[in-house]
Amino acid sequence: MPARRRALLKVIILGDSGVGKTSLMNQYVNKKFSNQYKATIGADFLTKEVQFEDRLFTLQIWDTAGQERFQSLGVAFYRGADCCVLVYDVNVAKSFENLNNWREEFLIQASPSDPDNFPFVVLGNKVDVDGGNSRVVSEKKARAWCASKGNIPYFETSAKEGLNVEEAFQVIAKNALKSEEEEEIYLPDTIDVTGGSQQRSSGCEC
Amino acid sequence: MQEAELQDLADDADYAVAIASEKPAPKSITRMDSKKSEPDGAELVYLKDNVTIHPTQYASERISGRLRLTKQGASVFLTWIPYKASPSGADSMFQSSNPNLLDRDRSLYTIRAVPFTDVRSIRRHTPTLGWQYIIVVLSSGLAFPPLYFYNGGVREFLATLKQHVSLIRSADDANVFLVNDFQDPLQRSLSSLELPRALSIANSASTSVIPAPSGETSARTDDGLSIIQHTGRRQKVNDPARDISIQVLEKFSLVTKFARDTTSQLLREIQSDTFSANDRKNRIPAPLSNNITEPENSIASVSDEIPVAADPHEVDKISLVWGKPRQTPLGAGEWATFLDAEGRILDSTGLRKRIFYGGVEHRLRKEAWKFLLGYYGYDSTFAEREYLASVKKEEYETMKRQWQSITPAQAKRFTKFRERKGLIDKDVVRTDRTVSFYDGDDNPNVRILRDILLTYSFYNFDLGYCQGMSDLLSPILFVMKDEQESFWCFVALMERLGPNFNRDQAGMHSQLFALSKMKTEKRIVRKKPFPTIWKFHPIVCRSNLVTSKLIATEDGKVTALPNYKRELEYEETMLLWEVLWTHHLSEHLHLYLCVAILKRHRKKIMGEQMDFDTLLKFINELSGHIDLNAALRDAEALFFCAGENGEACIPPGTPPSLPAEDTSLMYSQQDADEIL
Repeated sequence: MPARRRALLKVIILGDSGVGKTSLMNQYVNKKFSNQYKATIGADFLTKEVQFEDRLFTLQIWDTAGQERFQSLGVAFYRGADCCVLVYDVNVAKSFENLNNWREEFLIQASPSDPDNFPFVVLGNKVDVDGGNSRVVSEKKARAWCASKGNIPYFETSAKEGLNVEEAFQVIAKNALKSEEEEEIYLPDTIDVTGGSQQRSSGCEC
Repeated sequence: MQEAELQDLADDADYAVAIASEKPAPKSITRMDSKKSEPDGAELVYLKDNVTIHPTQYASERISGRLRLTKQGASVFLTWIPYKASPSGADSMFQSSNPNLLDRDRSLYTIRAVPFTDVRSIRRHTPTLGWQYIIVVLSSGLAFPPLYFYNGGVREFLATLKQHVSLIRSADDANVFLVNDFQDPLQRSLSSLELPRALSIANSASTSVIPAPSGETSARTDDGLSIIQHTGRRQKVNDPARDISIQVLEKFSLVTKFARDTTSQLLREIQSDTFSANDRKNRIPAPLSNNITEPENSIASVSDEIPVAADPHEVDKISLVWGKPRQTPLGAGEWATFLDAEGRILDSTGLRKRIFYGGVEHRLRKEAWKFLLGYYGYDSTFAEREYLASVKKEEYETMKRQWQSITPAQAKRFTKFRERKGLIDKDVVRTDRTVSFYDGDDNPNVRILRDILLTYSFYNFDLGYCQGMSDLLSPILFVMKDEQESFWCFVALMERLGPNFNRDQAGMHSQLFALSKMKTEKRIVRKKPFPTIWKFHPIVCRSNLVTSKLIATEDGKVTALPNYKRELEYEETMLLWEVLWTHHLSEHLHLYLCVAILKRHRKKIMGEQMDFDTLLKFINELSGHIDLNAALRDAEALFFCAGENGEACIPPGTPPSLPAEDTSLMYSQQDADEIL
């Protein structure tokens, strides 16, 4: 069996400024929360190794700037995405209302081959704030919207407390993998971050 | 293919073509008969018209002339003679030089029959766009100014030359061709095939031709053939290389500062380009070069991304430089010397230059920044500034009251205000919270940040608030410790940077355009351009612009990752800002800085064959790993090396320049003038 290059799964996180995109990514990848993140300007990504059955994948999670004004800069990163995560703050109604814009903008810019079946995942973040008392978007309302958009998986999360973050990203990765297998569209010639020790164990190493 | 490993010309497809034809007749020499004998029995082997030098950045001062290779016995000589100034009835076939140029300048640059035994290397620059040129470096380490081939033909020139002298491509830089480089054992063995011919040249080294300055100003003759008219008096000299150096030195000693600057710049360029790794031995005698460069130039070291090889003793030979060494910050005592009795700064140029090279002591920033940012005029007096401050304070309070007086009922119906306030509220609590000035809960300074930004969004309602502004304001408030003053300094800063924040990102894009041009401008990013597989060019910078991370792709698509003071420590940020705000040298120094940082990491980026994602990661992770002072020196050196070509890359109106037409669009300077 030929040595197979580890697949890269590309995930884009979108949502209004301050909903917790960077925090969610860092909680998932580094298991850390800081209330001192800076506003994201431009884009950055983190990677994490994930295993499914007997295969290892590199999950590449892209964090983008939330302010609308930077979108003309961010869209360059949408291309080749295997899954798109839409995040809103359950305490800010506007951030929920904007989910539709984010979704449509993504579909336009990334132009996936099968937009109707492109995997999205919606996260309602900051459920911990004020013990849930400041919440303005109900879970029911959010789930209804997700259902109307082709049954988008929905999670209520707290990046601060690590609530549901792991679970959400499991589904994100799984859906990204599904999308990647179906489309086989994006397998870039990436640097093997692990140094290739696992794959090349059979060869002679000089 | 064996030759490919020999680092000689044959490894270059370009040259292979030219060399392949046994008796090449390059177009550039069709007008001459190779059998035609020069007087004195010299044989003309190559001739090229419209080869021009650019003594200064001004097009009007360019000097065009004719380049020739002549052969006398086994020796080959390089000659470049400027055309005679011909104010009237000029032969319009040639690009006529400016008649106003002094003959002295003209003859200053004349290259008279320099034997190739005295030539150490030739550097070629063959940009896709723009003029090709070569730089001839003598064994003494001195170099002639770049010779621009207005009609192209550098390739043919080198191919022709290679037929007559030993030319070996430098192992370090494919654009450098070493002439008779037998001091390096490696090169010697590699070039063994060329050895016999080269040795014969070397043997003839003692008969250097030093022709008399024969007033040979125009080599044109009626039949179009070029016949050297010189008397070709020959002299035996003991040390031809030294003699030539002295001649050149004498020439340069005659001239004005601009020529001196040009020389030192050239030397620096040559130095930085060619004196790396195994190519570094016994070249420039330091005392000699000190005569030419300004003394303060002579300490800094060449620092590219490649830590230069083995021999530490070589370092002291690197006397020709990359940017001036950084100075200590400007202190209060020295500052006072710039002020006259009434508080005017008379020599603002000198002040800005001083700050450019050393920054400002922190205590002095509160005062100095107001000038650098343009809030205070350099020619204002103490009294005028005091008056301005009181007026501006009142003006600020008025604007602040505007948003403070918005009632909840109003706000409910004022979406724009709510949105902006929401964004600002979110961003100020994540701005420099690790700096003690801003840390902790309910920090009053964070509240002031918010108030200033909200007030600004009322002052400039069109621009409003944009993420990143809080990052720009934070150091200003930290320095000013005063709400109103911080606001007006921020206003002045935004005058320069505003276009970066516009919705269309036009400011960002013009900067990126400039960068993408600059990186292909080989005088700036010398050495090979990035191979085409490198689609992406990371440009890292933290500056007074919205710049920090800029990525331009080769297919013309640009992506900006504007970032603010994220790459540097707080103190360094303030230093960099004040340096850039001086606008000494260029108001676009930050762009050179981008390229300088890129260059510094070029080896890693190229060596690891980074794809776009990896590159982005690499750039993001440069945070905290930028040696600011070194980068500034590199940027300064790049600026000098690039000369007008660098500035020409930058479109008019690129921030921080104010947009050409509508400078009053966002801020009316008249307001300030009326008050004064």
